[in-house]
Amino acid sequence: MNRFSKLAVQRRIAALFVAVSVLTLLLLLRLAYLQLWHGDRFLDMALAQRFSPVPLLPDRGTIYDRNMVPLATSISAEAVYAVPVEVEDPVRTAHELAPLLDVDADWLLSRLEQNVRTVWLRLKVDPETARAVRARALPGIYITERPQRFYPHGKLAANVLGFAGIDNQGLEGLEAYYENVLKGTEGMLVRERDATGRSIPDGLERRIEPTDGLDIVLTVDHVIQYIVERELERGVLESQAEMGIFVAVDPKTGDILAMATYPSFDPNHFSDYPPELWKNRAVTDQFEPGSTFKVITGSVALEVGAATLASTYVDPVRLERWGGVVNCWRAGGHGEQTFVEALENSCNPVFAVMSADEIGPARFYEYIRAFGFGGRLGIDFPGEGTGLVPRPTPNPSLQWANVGFGQGIAVTPLQMAMAVAAIANGGTLYKPRLVKEIRTKDGDIVEARAPEIIRQVLSRQTAQEFISAMRSVVANGSGTRADVPGYRVAGKTGTAQIPEHGRYIDLNMATFVGFAPADDPAIVGVVMLYKVHAQPSWGGTWAAPVFGRVVEEALEYMGIPRRYETPEPVPKEKVVIPNIRNLPAEEAEERLAAAGLKVAHEGYGSYALDVIPVPGTVVDKGTTVLLVFHEEELPEPTIVTVPDVTGLSMRDAAFALQEKGLRIRIQGTGVATSQFPAPGERTPSGSVVEVQFSSPGTSAP
Amino acid sequence: MRILERFRADIERRQLRDLDPVLFLVTLALVICGLVVIYSATRSLPGVPHPHYYVQRQAQWAVLGLLAGIAVLGYDYRALQKWTYVLYIGTVAVLAAVMVLGFSAAGAERWLALGPVRLQPSEFAKVSIILTLAAYLDRKQDLSRLSSLIGPLLHVAPPMVLIALQPDIGTALVFAAITLGMLYFAGAQPKHLFLLILAGVGAIVLAGYLTLQGYVPLLKDYQVRRLAVFLDPYADPTGDGWNVIQSMIAIGSGGFFGKGLFGGSQTQLNFVPARHTDFIFSVIGEEFGFLGATFILFLFALLIWRLLRVTVLAKDRYGMLIAGGITSMFFFHILVNVGMTLGVMPITGITLPFLSQGGSSLMANLICIGIASNIVMRRRKIHF
Repeated sequence: MNRFSKLAVQRRIAALFVAVSVLTLLLLLRLAYLQLWHGDRFLDMALAQRFSPVPLLPDRGTIYDRNMVPLATSISAEAVYAVPVEVEDPVRTAHELAPLLDVDADWLLSRLEQNVRTVWLRLKVDPETARAVRARALPGIYITERPQRFYPHGKLAANVLGFAGIDNQGLEGLEAYYENVLKGTEGMLVRERDATGRSIPDGLERRIEPTDGLDIVLTVDHVIQYIVERELERGVLESQAEMGIFVAVDPKTGDILAMATYPSFDPNHFSDYPPELWKNRAVTDQFEPGSTFKVITGSVALEVGAATLASTYVDPVRLERWGGVVNCWRAGGHGEQTFVEALENSCNPVFAVMSADEIGPARFYEYIRAFGFGGRLGIDFPGEGTGLVPRPTPNPSLQWANVGFGQGIAVTPLQMAMAVAAIANGGTLYKPRLVKEIRTKDGDIVEARAPEIIRQVLSRQTAQEFISAMRSVVANGSGTRADVPGYRVAGKTGTAQIPEHGRYIDLNMATFVGFAPADDPAIVGVVMLYKVHAQPSWGGTWAAPVFGRVVEEALEYMGIPRRYETPEPVPKEKVVIPNIRNLPAEEAEERLAAAGLKVAHEGYGSYALDVIPVPGTVVDKGTTVLLVFHEEELPEPTIVTVPDVTGLSMRDAAFALQEKGLRIRIQGTGVATSQFPAPGERTPSGSVVEVQFSSPGTSAP
Repeated sequence: MRILERFRADIERRQLRDLDPVLFLVTLALVICGLVVIYSATRSLPGVPHPHYYVQRQAQWAVLGLLAGIAVLGYDYRALQKWTYVLYIGTVAVLAAVMVLGFSAAGAERWLALGPVRLQPSEFAKVSIILTLAAYLDRKQDLSRLSSLIGPLLHVAPPMVLIALQPDIGTALVFAAITLGMLYFAGAQPKHLFLLILAGVGAIVLAGYLTLQGYVPLLKDYQVRRLAVFLDPYADPTGDGWNVIQSMIAIGSGGFFGKGLFGGSQTQLNFVPARHTDFIFSVIGEEFGFLGATFILFLFALLIWRLLRVTVLAKDRYGMLIAGGITSMFFFHILVNVGMTLGVMPITGITLPFLSQGGSSLMANLICIGIASNIVMRRRKIHF
């Protein structure tokens, strides 16, 4: 028997005593670690728990147009939130509140039962709702004011402004680019709270006021922006284009006066629109410019001495060179022509030779880059595109022949506008800018920005000469529909082919670049109507009149007097333009002449496609009309019934007519009030229906 | 009056002189500290009828407990040996009754009502198992073989399993600690005891694994979570990790001197859960700082020392084993509870002796001190 001795027991007790001492010491060490070593850290954690701050939101800065008209402002909207621990009867509260807030009661209940300190129930409630909620005085339900972004003009300049989200953070456009300027600094209300989030009656309280954001003043003029948007919409709808862009610039400063994309969106309800409509395509997207790029080729040719205004060219019609072919768009060609006439005729082979042979790829490349293409101009806007300029080939090449008339090169509408502005102002490339001032709410100027010159691209002499050529394009050539009596518009049309997946598609981009008045330019504009479905899809047909209408109204608004080169014509006898569609060319010309009209030609063919203005329009006797040819006889049009579009918006009316194969001609703005032909009348497809629009509340004349 | 006379007759003057005054004073100091801290912890507790509610109840139980402890002195502890069977069967029966009739609180059935008083039989079961196991081991002298441990384990198993099923894993673990301690004092081989510990830990890990994998739901969800949270409290800082993190923040933010009585913001503002029961030590740490917490640990160290002294001085094996069991029980409680509030032990829901609010626990602990005093008082062999 191994009896356990008393001594052995005592040894074990001693061993246990040592073990107890060691373990107690370890607890003591842990205590010291927490309280002495990390005491401060835990004290901070304890404070953070009790003083979780409530943010006080600053007012976001206002965005003004150049005349201090607010385009984006902060209004305070009321928001309903709950402190779940203070809600006494969540089920009853949810059922009482749900109809007031117009939300689901079960959803509300799940919010009220969340284990959090505060929970938002509904942001942006209208004053009546807020009053009704207050009247119930439900425990644990509170109402607070939250600053909310508001765009008083709705869609106006939406793509430029962008928008701020529900938490007042800039998400797109200038709102995103100037986020740090506009947002201000959050303040906070610190109040001692217990574990359940209730504030302690005698607890500490401290308030740090928020600092409001700064205001920004744009270079954009909201009146010009309005004119641009209205006319762009009309141009897109009448030409049945899929999208349109307009950029208007002050050539003497580089200020963006207006910048629009159509279709657009309403920043007050941005989430109702697809995100692709949020983009400011004038800055972000790039396009093949087509014939409008000839203003670059032509002006550089003058600058480097490769041509003079008097240089003469013989149109080769079909030019086989550089291992390829360049055709003139006009069957039969333009014959012998001067530099100015070649620009008026927009003769491709002439500009191909100019680019590839006379200027040369290396030299032309330097000038194209000097004009600002192929790189960012540094506009204060997010996501600026660079465009694409091909590397120069060492020798003349087909690629660089194509560049001469705007193919195989991609530019942004903004780059195009700034380059044309450089020609218009005498050769100086300005940095485009959207913001000219940053100021405090009290009006103290924090930052005033002066116009910035990037470089001198052309000599004043060259620019002056080339302006006269561009003026001739509008006065005598393809840009005639952009002209405005007394404002001497200069410009260049373009009907650019659209490359998609490596080949050109059937639809074109109708475009126009120009400025006015030619002798002292006050406004430069670029119009792009993308994927025009109406025929013919030429820039001179669709883009030029948009430019003309914008410039006329904008210059009048800017107070620039009209100056007539010839005395104002006395009122003349009126004539109606006869319908010559689908007639043989000779017969069409005879009929127009018989009506007392002068005829200019666009295109070439054995059949008349259209006349501009369209048949039925009343004009002065002796007016020059544009006879448009088409080489193929069009299929016999089907007869359609004219739908009733009265009461529809411009866009809806355009689509309703388009569905029937009819085109729209827009008069006025607002809601359709009358139309001609009248609803129910039968007319050939492809005819134009003239629709009178007027703002609701004003009756049609 | 007759009872008092009998009491005086049973105790000789010399025996009274052999009472341990240190043990008595340490216990009294702990009880008084407990009352102060419980008052601070419960004066702003949500849902209390009045600020003194808990401290009054605790004081009543303290008086009752002290009287019970003194009453225990009157009977020679050796007389208890005769009651072993009654005590054992009674304990198992009461624990079984809790399963059937018990109240539940916090998801476990632990309470039994006796008139207006609610008792927690598992607290008293600890005392009774110390007494009956001591009697069993007193008779079984040889524990040198592994197989000789089977008998004692079978003795403890029924009450321990009943408590584990309540479920009260914490108290069941106390039973394990008591058993291990008493087997150690009784002469079991240390390597065999290690084997037992390994087997126990292995069983818990296996049970957790089987539950988590969804094979057999041996552990409740919250038990598995508590184990997971012990490994990393920040895994779920607002849920199960909350208690530990809040306790550590309270203690840590107390610093060296503490924030003063009633000055503990984490305590007073309800950040620390169960602060008057299982997490009472965090109140001490926050309001009295490192100084106060060290003082309490010092009192506990004194208590354990004096209890070990009883173990050494006991005149027979039965007394030695009882004292050893009581020491093991207290030490396990202190180590696990304080370790839990400091974030180094898992949350098991066992109390801090004399400090945690709770009548049954205080009563049972004071009776244990009475029994230990009984043993040390009667340590001399009296020759007539």
